[in-house]
Amino acid sequence: MNLIREIWQSIVRRDPLSTDKGKSELVFLNVWLHIHPAKVKKENLKFRHTFYLGFITFFLFLILLTTGIALMVYYRPYPPQAYQDMKDLQYVVFMGPFLRNMHRWAAHGMVICVFLHMCRVFYTGSYKKPRQFNWVIGVLLLLLTLGLSFTGYLLPWDQLAYWAITVGTNIGSYAPLVGGQVRELLLGGHSVGEGALLRFYVLHVAVLPSLMILLTIVHFWRVRKDGGLSRPVWKLKGKKEELVTIGAPAQTAALQAAAASKDKTYGLMEVVSGKPIFETVTPEEEEDTVFSYPYAFVREAVVLMATVTTIMTISLFLNAPLEELANPAKTPNPAKAPWYFLGLQELVSHSAFLGGVVAPALMVLLLLAIPYLDRNPSRNLADRKLILWLFTIFVVANLALIVVGTFFRGPGWALVPPWVHVVGGTE
Amino acid sequence: MERRLQQLFFALSLFALVLILAAGWQANTPSWKTYQRSFLQIEAQGEPNAVTKAAVLATPPEIHQVLLSGLQRVDRCTTCHLGVEDPTMKNAPEPFRYHAGLGPHVPSRFGCTICHGGQGLATDKEGAHGNVAFWPNPLLSRDYIRASCGRCHKEGEVPGVPELNEGRHLFETQGCRGCHKLDGVGGSIGPDLTGEGANRRSPDWLERHFLAPNAVSTGSAMPNFHFTKEQARDLTYYMLSLTNEEMGSYFSSVRLIPSPEYGRQLFVEKDCLACHAVGGAGAKTAPDLLGVTKRHSIEWLDEQLVNPELVYPGSSMPEYDLEANARKALVAYMATATPEDVQLVLSRKTRTMTPEDVAIEAGKQDFARFGCVGCHGTELQGGVANPNAQGGEVPSLLHVSDDYTKDEVIAIIRNGRVPPMDNAAGPAPPLYMPAWKHVLSDEDINRIADYLWSKQEKNKDAW
Amino acid sequence: MDRREFFKFSWGAVGIAALCSAVGVSLAAVVRFLMPSVFYEPPQNFKIGEPGDFPFGPPTFLVEEKIFVFRDRDKGFAVASAVCTHLGCTVAHFSSDQKFHCPCHGSVFAADGSVQHGPAPRALDWFEVTQARDGQLRVDKDKVVPPTYRLMV
Repeated sequence: MNLIREIWQSIVRRDPLSTDKGKSELVFLNVWLHIHPAKVKKENLKFRHTFYLGFITFFLFLILLTTGIALMVYYRPYPPQAYQDMKDLQYVVFMGPFLRNMHRWAAHGMVICVFLHMCRVFYTGSYKKPRQFNWVIGVLLLLLTLGLSFTGYLLPWDQLAYWAITVGTNIGSYAPLVGGQVRELLLGGHSVGEGALLRFYVLHVAVLPSLMILLTIVHFWRVRKDGGLSRPVWKLKGKKEELVTIGAPAQTAALQAAAASKDKTYGLMEVVSGKPIFETVTPEEEEDTVFSYPYAFVREAVVLMATVTTIMTISLFLNAPLEELANPAKTPNPAKAPWYFLGLQELVSHSAFLGGVVAPALMVLLLLAIPYLDRNPSRNLADRKLILWLFTIFVVANLALIVVGTFFRGPGWALVPPWVHVVGGTE
Repeated sequence: MERRLQQLFFALSLFALVLILAAGWQANTPSWKTYQRSFLQIEAQGEPNAVTKAAVLATPPEIHQVLLSGLQRVDRCTTCHLGVEDPTMKNAPEPFRYHAGLGPHVPSRFGCTICHGGQGLATDKEGAHGNVAFWPNPLLSRDYIRASCGRCHKEGEVPGVPELNEGRHLFETQGCRGCHKLDGVGGSIGPDLTGEGANRRSPDWLERHFLAPNAVSTGSAMPNFHFTKEQARDLTYYMLSLTNEEMGSYFSSVRLIPSPEYGRQLFVEKDCLACHAVGGAGAKTAPDLLGVTKRHSIEWLDEQLVNPELVYPGSSMPEYDLEANARKALVAYMATATPEDVQLVLSRKTRTMTPEDVAIEAGKQDFARFGCVGCHGTELQGGVANPNAQGGEVPSLLHVSDDYTKDEVIAIIRNGRVPPMDNAAGPAPPLYMPAWKHVLSDEDINRIADYLWSKQEKNKDAW
Repeated sequence: MDRREFFKFSWGAVGIAALCSAVGVSLAAVVRFLMPSVFYEPPQNFKIGEPGDFPFGPPTFLVEEKIFVFRDRDKGFAVASAVCTHLGCTVAHFSSDQKFHCPCHGSVFAADGSVQHGPAPRALDWFEVTQARDGQLRVDKDKVVPPTYRLMV
């Protein structure tokens, strides 16, 4: 049985989890977990502060990766076969409908959650110094999420897909100077056809996921380096500022130099001089600090399971739509973009240039600029009334536009209240 | 709190297990498995002993699929319709009943949807029968299934489906091509009908349209041809067969069914009786054909039709450019030809035709085939409404010689003509005379002019 | 600086310039790579048939090519695009008002293609139509012409 212990210990090289050292080593000796700090403040774990939206979004992404790869086994990105493969997934592939539903509803969920996460980060002021650039990365991740959802939307090659992408790429072509060129590059031609399907497929399964993963890595890394997960600032005791100092601060004393021990192996983090980048913990705060294992991990696990089971439940009962085979000769009336672009389409229906180019460009630029435009260092809600109002108006306006585009626009884009007759859902 | 969270985690994990099991169960219990089990019960009943019964009942369920690359489809109907090729299932309840009368059109070679319509990719009842949203091709009702024969058998008669031939005949003689293109030939006033059977799968719409075009297509310029219900049905059959689909070479090779009836049609068309007789009835120049299939092999007869000189050097029998199935049809007719039938053919021949008669007859044929009758009428009476044209309708051609010389008429046929408008500010009249010089040869146009002139009525009250 | 430093600097500069150029050229190559050289779609330049195939009055709509072919008694042929300039839906032409209507967002174009109503940002394109050597009409969608352009046959 020594052999078994030997095998086990060759794989698991930490101390037992009953020891504090073991609990720490579980984190920093493990490649998958070492992005976590070994210890977190209790405040970092507050559900009602972050709602774990970042985690939910990430878990939804993991669901999308796995279900997406599974779907790739049965899908060919060429025009006549693509639709037939969707039918095969619906009728003959074992758990085909379930997998496809998981993928679709996780995608919609991820768009919603990434948006909610952004709102949460904004409302808790968690984009302020030193986290400004991480906010920018976050906005880029939001755009990637929308891009992934958009490229995936075309793949079923039904009427819904074909015309949504026709409308979507035409909105994009309004961008000055490069709009037409970018549209041609995306489509591999002048209109949506086999070239577009193949290029969107490459973007959807290879290019955009890679960018997403790369930026997610940066995003998580920066969260750590910026001081860990967001904490409710008004709950912090005594401290006026919780800004992080990078590098050695001027006022504190130099660390004591201790003689190196001969029978100890030092990890890199024990040898570097100067104050560590993350916040140090004062003795009072020590009580508020817990080991990541099990406190943080159990919460993450619960959120993971809750996300997965929610998507699974929805997927058991709600089917992703599949309309007729794409027909370039027949424009459905109305032809609607995917729901998250319907606000944009509503704007564009009033003015192509203002609504399709100026408004979205302004929105994205303003979003990116928020951490740099906001000169108020306070995270308290009471001190930030103006910007909170502005942002809330922005959010509500977007939602309203989407609601109008979804429920109040019928054939010919005429205003038709939903209780009359809504033609065409927007899944 | 931590304990609660751990419990929650385990509860959710359990829930996840339940959900994945539910998903698996959902995936593992499609309705077709139930049908297959019922079918196996029926099959097992016919087994002689318990051992074979058990073996049958133990057959694992699986989706049955026919891959038809030549027809560009995949049909899974036989997943539930398990008895279609099994004669012992004659009296089984649906969906297991044997499909009698298929001839060579067995599901394993043809699938099912090529004739019946529906959604072959589906594996549940409603989806497969095509009665679902977003599938534009539902099952054809019983009355119209035979129209699908015309999707492959595009020429000649189809035994048992006279409606197709009737429909085609009506199309060619009632002038449809005057406004509608079919396979590239025809007018541009109405929609191209080449793929009409692929776009329009509703027999009900088609029939109502033929009976009253404006009731179904509001504002259409198509006149009401006052078809009978049978004629409307015949035309509907023909329309449903125009699917313009690409088919593998095997399927396109059977465009023509080599039936004795078609052979007879060719026998009359090619005027074999000009030289041959059957049992004494006919001409004496060439050998009598009665019982010829007993004297010679089929291959010999076929070769005779291809290359008469090879078989009888010095023979004056012309080389007819007939394709393989047409020759098969002729030979099939030869096997059944009787002197009485031939007498019938002979009696229909009227006076011998002079070259002028031939020209006029050819002109008359062209006048019908290229759709002129659609506007100018089968009796040249005109009368089809043409709003805002002078006179308000397509003119009759019975008095055209009063106003034009023959050369002027030939020029009009060649170059087309736009009718003068009644009210110059109003909308353009929908109907006009197209230019035919690129479609018809000069010879054809002259013959049409000859035909028109042969029909001129001398106006008693001519000024 | 002395000679040694100068050469060190020069080679360094050349090296960096070379690297930047290499990167720049690679990027340009990538962009060119992504631009298709052939299109798997109906051609932009094509024949539509004999002049006699087209009626006067209401335009003929060609589905695949997405164009309207107008034929006027006095002025001749004109070809208009059937693709709405707003978001790419296919417009319909109604004889009752001689206008183009788009079903998607209600854009209305006048008989000459100019925008009358709705969110379309610019007029419908008119394409050059010429007569080929064999007498057939040829349309070139890469050549946009003013709405007054006509081809007399």
